[in-house]
Amino acid sequence: MIGTLAHGAILVSLAVVAFGMFFIPFAIKRDRRDWVALAYSAVYTNFLLITVATVAMVWALVTHDFSLSYVAQVGSKATPLFYTIISLWGALEGSILFWAWVLAMYAAAVVWINADRPGNLVPYAAAALLGISLFFGILLVGPADPFKPVFPVPLDGPGPNPLLQNHILMAVHPPLLYLGYVGMSVPFAFAVGAMLSGEVLTDDWIKITRRWTLSSWGLLSAAIIAGMWWSYEVLGWGGYWAWDPVENASFMPWLTATAFLHSVMVQERRGMLRLWNLNLVVGTFVLTILGTFLTRSGIISSVHAFTTGTIGYYFLAFIAVTLLVALALVAGTSGRLKDEKRFDGPASRETVFLLNNLFLTAFMFTVLLGTLFPLVAESVKGVKVSVGEPFFNRMSLPMIVALLFLMGVGPALPWKRITMPELKAKLRAPLVGAAVMLAIAIAVGTRNFYALVTFAFVGFSGASNKFEFWYGIRARQRAHGENYLTALFRLMAGNRRRYGGYVAHLGILTVALGIAASSTFRTETEATLKPGDSMTVSGHTVRLKQVWGREEVQRSVIGATLEIVKNGAVTGTIEPKMNFYPTSQQPVPTPQVKSSIAGDLYANLQAFRPDGSSATVRLIYEPMVPWIWIGGMIVVLGSVLSILPARSRA
Amino acid sequence: MTRVRSVFAALSLALTLALSLAVAMPRALVAQQAPAAPRDTLVVTPEGLRAGAPTKATDPALEARTSAVASGLRCPVCQGLSIQDSPSELAQQMRSLVRDQLAAGKTDEEVRAYFISKYGEWILLEPKASGFNLLVYALPVLLVVGGLGFIITLVRRWTVAPALGDASDASDASDRDAADGGENSTT
Repeated sequence: MIGTLAHGAILVSLAVVAFGMFFIPFAIKRDRRDWVALAYSAVYTNFLLITVATVAMVWALVTHDFSLSYVAQVGSKATPLFYTIISLWGALEGSILFWAWVLAMYAAAVVWINADRPGNLVPYAAAALLGISLFFGILLVGPADPFKPVFPVPLDGPGPNPLLQNHILMAVHPPLLYLGYVGMSVPFAFAVGAMLSGEVLTDDWIKITRRWTLSSWGLLSAAIIAGMWWSYEVLGWGGYWAWDPVENASFMPWLTATAFLHSVMVQERRGMLRLWNLNLVVGTFVLTILGTFLTRSGIISSVHAFTTGTIGYYFLAFIAVTLLVALALVAGTSGRLKDEKRFDGPASRETVFLLNNLFLTAFMFTVLLGTLFPLVAESVKGVKVSVGEPFFNRMSLPMIVALLFLMGVGPALPWKRITMPELKAKLRAPLVGAAVMLAIAIAVGTRNFYALVTFAFVGFSGASNKFEFWYGIRARQRAHGENYLTALFRLMAGNRRRYGGYVAHLGILTVALGIAASSTFRTETEATLKPGDSMTVSGHTVRLKQVWGREEVQRSVIGATLEIVKNGAVTGTIEPKMNFYPTSQQPVPTPQVKSSIAGDLYANLQAFRPDGSSATVRLIYEPMVPWIWIGGMIVVLGSVLSILPARSRA
Repeated sequence: MTRVRSVFAALSLALTLALSLAVAMPRALVAQQAPAAPRDTLVVTPEGLRAGAPTKATDPALEARTSAVASGLRCPVCQGLSIQDSPSELAQQMRSLVRDQLAAGKTDEEVRAYFISKYGEWILLEPKASGFNLLVYALPVLLVVGGLGFIITLVRRWTVAPALGDASDASDASDRDAADGGENSTT
């Protein structure tokens, strides 16, 4: 019943979307704004219909309506309500439905905001968003139909993938990821609209999409950090990034979007890089679709690869069509775009932005190449090869340290050019920062080359970005006689975008510091303990108290209670577990982390004797891991500062 | 105008919400991990139970070599994890195999060759830098070098004023006062 309703809603939405998409160009050709307004209602109607379908799916999940294929696939009466609701994005069909819903929401918001804007930019952008919606609508009635009837109706289902119901972060990471990922469709749609309407010659489309790009970027950053946190908390190996194809898929559009956020400033300020920016926007969008194709089609195995049928071909076709249309438009536009071709000096912020764009795109290319290379090697040479963590670390570290360095140089350099005395004055603080960090790093025993360079550059850029605030505060104090706090507040309020950017830089640097410290100074040990035995890793001692087990509604849990011992006194316990789900052969590791700002004590239960007489525990000490999560939050704060609407002064 | 403000206020709200969720997370985690049932009985599920292999006390040099070799070998049942990192049972067995072979006097290369003979080149997490595989190493380097060359030419060709000339309009103060484009002019 509810399946029929939802299925009907999606079918109607397909017709509505197709109508809107083709009607908009027609209305523009006839120069009928009233028809455009009519076509806009297609955007709202689509949002309404997909909302109905999504709510219907959640309802079916909650009421355990196993007559629907998706519920039969991921539902189970034993699964707690919370994990039942979030299993909406726990498998292929549901995640496509959720994607379509987020996309419809974005399209409705774009049209609602800009409906009164004259010109053809917004109508064409709406048509582009409807075109993307059409693709997802086709998936929902074709290869990713979540509402297929199942007969005979099963009495119960297997429940969601154990990995996805083992941690609360699964409620946070996927929605953030979809909001960020799908949000990249908006700048793409505006780029297409700008090229179709000819408004690409003015830079209006960039002003309209600035906040969309920034908010999507902030959400994607938050999603990537939340994903790292999830794998740290769930996968049991004490790491947070493994260059898994799906991690790469989320990271590649982030890199090109980051490049765009910087290079777009060169376009706004200096009228350069217009064509390049169009390509970055198109590339970012295509990378979101390509990433989804790679991880959802099963062509590359990954933590997130859902089992599949023909959906890969649909994605390939969509990528081909998108690339053809977008590149044809860009090629048609390129002749008309007149870039300013003027640098005032090689030592200028615009030069740094060029280098930033080079390294970010080369980084993206490296990740893309490494992710695809196993496929290429197998089809060309017939040899199976792996491209994993050692490769990506080796190739990306030089680019990462270059970017860390540029993050300090860029803010220190003004637009256009700088004089030698100014340059010296500007570089003093960053160089001191680099020297201090380097000295600390050597003092605590860092010997690895890249770690030393990373610490030094973090010091360099950290000082550089912090001093930008200081210079601004001092200037305000001189001009207005304000106290420090007022000056800081007014400074940031006066140019949120700029200072939000510096806050984001400081966040990234904090993340880099956390990653460098935790990977350089990670120590681990593994031991099989009997109750009463203890083990030690870099000064932290734990003693096995007992191995225990209990039944929960949806799983059985085996745990080891370890007492943290300091100077002979018990200061706390740490309790790694293994969760056994009936649907999974392998137990799901459930490590426990004791966090402090200095570092994490991470315990994972590797094995145990069924009679409880011993447990094998991997104990890891990782310094400064929480800095990664805190840095992520600072990045998000920076993007919030940048997108907060300016207070109206009138 | 009000529409712009309300939508982006909503988006900022979503981000802030994510932020506060993240802040609240540790607490939620603690709550989630609170014991739900008495735990004095050991419930044993038949499948998947594993007995711990006793770990031998070994010398640190051997451990360091083991972990160096193991970091480059792929865990066959995981997603891209090395046998050094993976907590899976197979990875643990393979790791002790690496340790045993090294202890028996094999070189790192011989141990790697042993695993290649068993699983194929696929077992290496980093492809050998020879033959066709050179592409995956060379292309990014070529891109960076070519891109640097391109940028240098571009900047040189487009620079009209002499490098590091005297500052007039380029002082940072004027830069700071000018609002970055678009801050207040967004539709």
